[in-house]
Amino acid sequence: MTSVWRSMPLRLALMLVILFGTVSLLSLAASYAFTRAAFEQSVRDDLAQDLAGFRAAPSARAVALLVQAESEGTDPDRLVLSYVTRTGRIYGNGAIARDDEGFHIISLEEGRATLDGEYLALSERLYGGRLTIARSRAEIEALQPVFLNILWISLLPTVLIALSGGLILGRRSQRHVEVIRATLEQLTGGDLAARVDRGPRWSDDLARIGGAVNGMAQAQERSVAALRQVSSDIAHDLKTPVQRVSLRLEALADAVPDGEAADLVAQTRTEVDGISSVFTSLLQLAQVENSALKAQFVPVDLTKLCHTMVEVYEPSAAQNGQTLTFDGPDEVMASGEKTLLGQMIANLLENALRHAGQGAVIKVSLENTPTGPLLQVSDNGPGIPENEYPRVTERLYRLEQSRNTPGNGLGLSLVDGVARLHDAELSFEDAKPGLRVSVQFPTL
Amino acid sequence: MWFSVAIQNCNAAGGAGRKVTDYIADMNLLVIEDDATTGTYIARGLREEGHVVDLAQDGSEGLTLAAAGTYDVMIVDRMLPQVDGLTLVKTLREAGNTTPVLFLTAMGSVEDRIGGLNAGGDDYLVKPFAFGELSARVTALGRRPQAVERETALHAGDLTLDLLTRKVVRGDQEIDLLPREYALLEFLLRRKGRVQTRTMLLEGVWDLSFDPMTNVVETHVSRLRAKVDKPFKTELIKTVRGAGYRIDG
Repeated sequence: MTSVWRSMPLRLALMLVILFGTVSLLSLAASYAFTRAAFEQSVRDDLAQDLAGFRAAPSARAVALLVQAESEGTDPDRLVLSYVTRTGRIYGNGAIARDDEGFHIISLEEGRATLDGEYLALSERLYGGRLTIARSRAEIEALQPVFLNILWISLLPTVLIALSGGLILGRRSQRHVEVIRATLEQLTGGDLAARVDRGPRWSDDLARIGGAVNGMAQAQERSVAALRQVSSDIAHDLKTPVQRVSLRLEALADAVPDGEAADLVAQTRTEVDGISSVFTSLLQLAQVENSALKAQFVPVDLTKLCHTMVEVYEPSAAQNGQTLTFDGPDEVMASGEKTLLGQMIANLLENALRHAGQGAVIKVSLENTPTGPLLQVSDNGPGIPENEYPRVTERLYRLEQSRNTPGNGLGLSLVDGVARLHDAELSFEDAKPGLRVSVQFPTL
Repeated sequence: MWFSVAIQNCNAAGGAGRKVTDYIADMNLLVIEDDATTGTYIARGLREEGHVVDLAQDGSEGLTLAAAGTYDVMIVDRMLPQVDGLTLVKTLREAGNTTPVLFLTAMGSVEDRIGGLNAGGDDYLVKPFAFGELSARVTALGRRPQAVERETALHAGDLTLDLLTRKVVRGDQEIDLLPREYALLEFLLRRKGRVQTRTMLLEGVWDLSFDPMTNVVETHVSRLRAKVDKPFKTELIKTVRGAGYRIDG
């Protein structure tokens, strides 16, 4: 399964989130910078105005008194006034003696411990002393957490919503893509009745692809059905003439005296019986492809069926010098059609009896596995080459080595058909030596 | 009346070779089959066995005959022009007609059998079939409403099968049979004088209806014969060529 992170809608959502995030960050950063600059400017303006007030004083003494008076009720956390006279006397609520004039960012840490943080200071020489006015930059600094908060409050939910939306959309589209993929797999596996089940919430493009897949499957199914219909029609139409031939031969057999002619009639009857059996098998095959038969399914005891089958075939095996055994628990139930299941087991047994050779040991085994009943027929005969496994269930296919043995090449096709009808899986493997055929039924 | 006809029938056909049923009284049969050749052959064959046979070639003619006459068994093709076989039998059954019906069908088996039996058919035969099979099944159907015999033993010649002790004795010799051999012998004895085909034996003894490609039934019969017939002078289980097996009385 592909990761949901690689699905298209989620990728789109992620890209949008990144784009949106970047733009938001940039605009927030810009407005932060502007606001900060504006705040700083206003502090500077305030400082300049303050200083202008002191400059109006007529003497150093007056400045010192003014500073002293002004600083009396002033919180040094907000505003620090300092006038250092030529003689070194300090007035104000702080001691800042700067030689350079103009704006500075200063820290009062070393001077007075209570004054912490950064200040914007303006210094000027006045009447030989140095006047410094410093305003706290706390308000400017407070902007940063405010803007950070704005960042979180606005960006985080957006990112979360976009991501989860993308994730939901991605999941959904992945589900829909998965439906299409599973249908295609079923079609490839030969289940031509499989269709993409499009829900009302499907996105338009996926629904269109699903529709196209369904159209293709329908066309395929029609042509295969037409082909099958032809073969079943031929078998059907030829049954009546074969019936006539068979009845006439029967009458002929009664009419001719024993001898060469009677032998010829007997041989011809055998041939006609062979033709009939091909027709019967072809029609049976057409029948098991009709899944409507599933409506007739009832619980079938496979143990009992296998037991009876093995009993029926045991004398035939003994005649070939073969051993036929059955091994299984007392009861193994599967849902199915008894006649067809019986025919399937019969075909498997006849296949083994016919191809395993003289003296072979043929084992029928039944088992309740966690995934359902497992039926196996194995022999220790020559087996079949592994590359032939997929082909042996093809209609009328016969292995080179079995051209001269009886059989019409439809036996295993029918086994396959019956297995499919029962949702069971047919597989072949090397029994070393010999062939093991397994039919894995689904759980009841 | 049946008995006298049977004797007459035996005389008429005595030793003619083709006879499948020896002492069963003849029956009134109706064959509804649209294929003229098949219909004629079936009718001729059944007449040769001493039955009285009416032949209808389409569904509506068949329905008229079936409704008017009294038949012992009807042989009905499933696919007929005008009124198809299923509808025909359904109509008859709804009208209270209980005559046993053997369906002939050219279609597959399972679905057909279920459909046919649901419609009121009593047995079915898939085309192409051998005449012997048809004849044996018709005979079985004609004898179907048989009273359950309250016997404790079945006999044939010098053979006795005790239903209570499950002992089989021929002459003064007890025969040891495996359970399925016993079942096979019992099945044939209960239908003494009537041919049982291979498929009828599979259905009756093993409760299986499938199409064996090999001679599975023959091997079972020959095993039974090895015990029941081989050590003795006369043969009890007879092979009826092109049909099946039979034990005579």
